[in-house]
Amino acid sequence: MNAFDKLLRQLNLTPAGVLGLAVLAVLPFIPPFNQEYLIRWLIAAALIAAGAIAFDFTAGFINIVNFGFYAILGLGGYTSAILSVNVGLTPWIGVFIGAAAAGVLGFLTGLLTLRLRGIFAAVMAWFVGLALMGLATKMVWLTRGPLGLRTPRLFDTASNIPYYYLILLLMLVTYIICSRVVASKVGIAFKAIGQNMDAAKTSGINPTYYRIINFTLSCTLAGLLGGFYAHYYGILTPDIMHTSKTVEVLAVAYIGGRGSLWGGAAIAFPFILAMELVRSGLSNLPGLNLILYGLLLILVMIYYPGGFAKFFDAYIRHPKNRALNYFLNGASVRT
Amino acid sequence: MSDRFIRWCRSAAGVTILLSILLAVIATIDRGPYILVNTAITGGMLALVAVGLALLLGVMNVASFVHGEYFMIGTLVAYYVFTPLQNFLNTNPSPLLAMVAPLIAILAAAVAGAAAGALTEIMVFAPMRRRSRENWVMNSFLLTVGLAVLLINGHLLIFGADFKGIVRYWAGAPVTIMDVFISRDRLFAFLLSIIVILAFWVFMKTTRTGRAIRAVSQDETGSLMVGINLSAILIFTMALGCSLAAVAGASLLFLYPSYPTVGLEALYMAWFIVILVGLGNIIGALTGGFMVALLKVLTVEYIGSGWDFVVPTALIILVLIFKPSGIFGSEVRGVLDQ
Repeated sequence: MNAFDKLLRQLNLTPAGVLGLAVLAVLPFIPPFNQEYLIRWLIAAALIAAGAIAFDFTAGFINIVNFGFYAILGLGGYTSAILSVNVGLTPWIGVFIGAAAAGVLGFLTGLLTLRLRGIFAAVMAWFVGLALMGLATKMVWLTRGPLGLRTPRLFDTASNIPYYYLILLLMLVTYIICSRVVASKVGIAFKAIGQNMDAAKTSGINPTYYRIINFTLSCTLAGLLGGFYAHYYGILTPDIMHTSKTVEVLAVAYIGGRGSLWGGAAIAFPFILAMELVRSGLSNLPGLNLILYGLLLILVMIYYPGGFAKFFDAYIRHPKNRALNYFLNGASVRT
Repeated sequence: MSDRFIRWCRSAAGVTILLSILLAVIATIDRGPYILVNTAITGGMLALVAVGLALLLGVMNVASFVHGEYFMIGTLVAYYVFTPLQNFLNTNPSPLLAMVAPLIAILAAAVAGAAAGALTEIMVFAPMRRRSRENWVMNSFLLTVGLAVLLINGHLLIFGADFKGIVRYWAGAPVTIMDVFISRDRLFAFLLSIIVILAFWVFMKTTRTGRAIRAVSQDETGSLMVGINLSAILIFTMALGCSLAAVAGASLLFLYPSYPTVGLEALYMAWFIVILVGLGNIIGALTGGFMVALLKVLTVEYIGSGWDFVVPTALIILVLIFKPSGIFGSEVRGVLDQ
């Protein structure tokens, strides 16, 4: 096992994953992707991909659907934006305070709902999201409500490229944090809770404790992404907290494959680009892209609940060819 | 008798119901009887939607996110049935037809809602149930999320995003009760909700099918053993629940014009109610409808519109801290067990 393989193992990446990231990194310079609107699409896709990783960290492992995901993400964004607008704090510090605020709210929501069964937590997170959106709409003196809060941007440039690299980095960091936690002892407890709660309890795992850890971490990461959102788009409206945004991430995460972390991120790029193409190409048929979303989610849920990641693991992951196997799985554990 | 009454008063259900009544009386004295009237009208319709949701939770173990869309289907069908009828009436006036036209529209919506519900069960839930019941609650919940996205955007694609509403169902001067003017539409909506609720109650308590539905909600395996046709009951329950939502949508068309996301508010409110009273508690959902309606009316009256998501959420959080299984509790275990 050479140093490169060791590093990959530390980061839970495979050579195929590194290649994917490398392709994404050079994509903004390859035609036709070097146009600004396509880079904007790529940024949107990367944001969804990073969101899907953080979402899947909760949904795929402890089996809790965080239905207020984008509301909590929005809270992170708003916190950072309000700090920078009203106090003059630089966004580079503000995003972390936003992430902390989102984490605290996630912790409190989790404390309240995660001792109950999964569906309660899903619905309560949704209500908390609705309440947050109501607050953001109504506290006009602070958030300017539906008019939108103008936020300072992170980089002093009109180009989208620095933002693209930043969100790719955020996506990678999100993935590495989540996969490191999942691979640790805590992660085993998460999986045990997600698969069979009663068995996990019998084995001496306190489900509430682990679920709250998981939920808080996921919400913190969401808050960080919210900070990026706020300071990339430059304007923040309560719409960011809308349930339909959460549904978008949810669909990507589940179509990508629950419990895989990488599945949602991998599927997000082709998926979001295709959706944007449908939306801009067939603008006389509004809603068609979302119909495809809904249809795909239904089909995946009925016929292949494991999603793309399960398909990949079952049919592609273990080829006979050793080089290909190395490419897809990295160096094996035995040295 | 009085002993039982006192015990009921001291239970969580009794305390909340008595508190709600007290609150309603105080607000009515403070601001006028229209609070009571608004509560009754909103409450009846919310109860219809929430009962459908509770039915699906209890009988099918489906935490439905798509229930508001049947409300939307109700408004849509009622609009497309009622508008041509009204145009016809404008050219050839007929008092009799003017009386029954709204009823025809609401009936059509009920039938359409039932058909949509039955189709959903046959085309979506049944295949999923056949394939795997593993992790059913979460998977079916996500399925309904997909379905909701599909139906909302299907409406957008086919019928467009504009408001498809009517001015009123019944022409004529408003009725005066307790010095409050109530439009005939509102009065009728209230009466209809009471009639439907009573009919539903009688149906569940006395008929064979009603008993079968309750049996399935209590114990699915047991009901199979005593020879209940499970798949038929599931289709029927889904049709019934969706039909109730569609009736609510159709009879409130004068308040909520039909547009793609009209069902979301009904869905939020129904979920508030169901969580508040306990998942799958059907009788509780009826009472809860009026309680949440009161809460909503009071919030709008005293704090301002737009806060009606914030205050109920705060209240529900309080309730969940002290009574995790809801005010009235719930005997339905299926949803809670996963």
